[in-house]
Amino acid sequence: MIQTIHAQEEVTEAEMEENLFDANDAQADSNRRVLEKSGTRAIDIMGAIGSGKTTLVTRMVERMSGRARVAVINGDPVTADDVLPIERQGVPVIQIAANACHLDADLVSRAYAKLPIGELDLILIENVGNLICPAEFKLGSNARVVVISVTEGPWMVRKHPRMFLGARLVVINKLDFAGPMGVDVDQLERDVHMLKPDLKVIKTSCKAGTGLDELADALLAL
Amino acid sequence: MHEFSIASGLVEKVTAFAEERAPIRVLKVRLAIGNLMCIQAEQLAFCYNALTEDTPIGGSSLEIEMVPPVVSCTNCGYTGAPKYWEDPQLLSPVPTMSCPKCGSTTEAIEGDQCSIRTISYAQ
Repeated sequence: MIQTIHAQEEVTEAEMEENLFDANDAQADSNRRVLEKSGTRAIDIMGAIGSGKTTLVTRMVERMSGRARVAVINGDPVTADDVLPIERQGVPVIQIAANACHLDADLVSRAYAKLPIGELDLILIENVGNLICPAEFKLGSNARVVVISVTEGPWMVRKHPRMFLGARLVVINKLDFAGPMGVDVDQLERDVHMLKPDLKVIKTSCKAGTGLDELADALLAL
Repeated sequence: MHEFSIASGLVEKVTAFAEERAPIRVLKVRLAIGNLMCIQAEQLAFCYNALTEDTPIGGSSLEIEMVPPVVSCTNCGYTGAPKYWEDPQLLSPVPTMSCPKCGSTTEAIEGDQCSIRTISYAQ
């Protein structure tokens, strides 16, 4: 008689509590320490493709000239379109041409290595154009800014609520198009404050020059 | 599709865990994802399965628990569930940083994590 014995498999359950972002978070902390040594600050600017991040950054670099020593890190995986207007202003600019849907702390640390950090007051980091993926990946910046524009339609805040929760400042851009687009800017602002009551909102138009001085002041104060 | 990056990190961690204790067979990985995170559980599970196929941890299952947010208000001292944004246009109520008691901005003390809770394995 053949007897089959199925051995009772002993299952062990190991308690972990291991953060999946620990490597990125640790690198982000290290990035921040690099900046702290020289009192340099960094701002992570997030927003969808076409929201106007690059033009805003270019206008900010112009307005900060003489007020702060600025550098730009630009996350554009494909083109150099974004860095050229900034380079023309004689400001250090590093392009991160990673084929990624978000920047991470490691990519930013490599960009820092190429910048004269000790000679800088502020680094503007333009994240990859995407309003979902960058949210979880800390870069070690001092503050995060979200840029939305009225040309993206009236529902940008409620469609991407989680993006705004960690932001310190929201820019509603392309204000001059609000009329033609039929977008209620006040409603966009109410949506932002529904998510986070004290979140600062600045309305800008790069074409008309609206709100740009206010934005430069706010970024320098973040 | 940042779920792929997250899944890659997860697979590295689980593989390292299995290698340290080799030979073991990883059966189940339990994750806790905070509801304030922009992480899609189904996509993460899909990426995990695709990345582990034909590897030493292949066949292990991923169980994802969504953790509801808990906020703390420095203005009125409230600690608990956040105020949810309810609107007919929203598919489900959206957690906000607004205090349900006084309306000030709160801080998240839970709901922004993404961590491995447990790994079950057989020798």
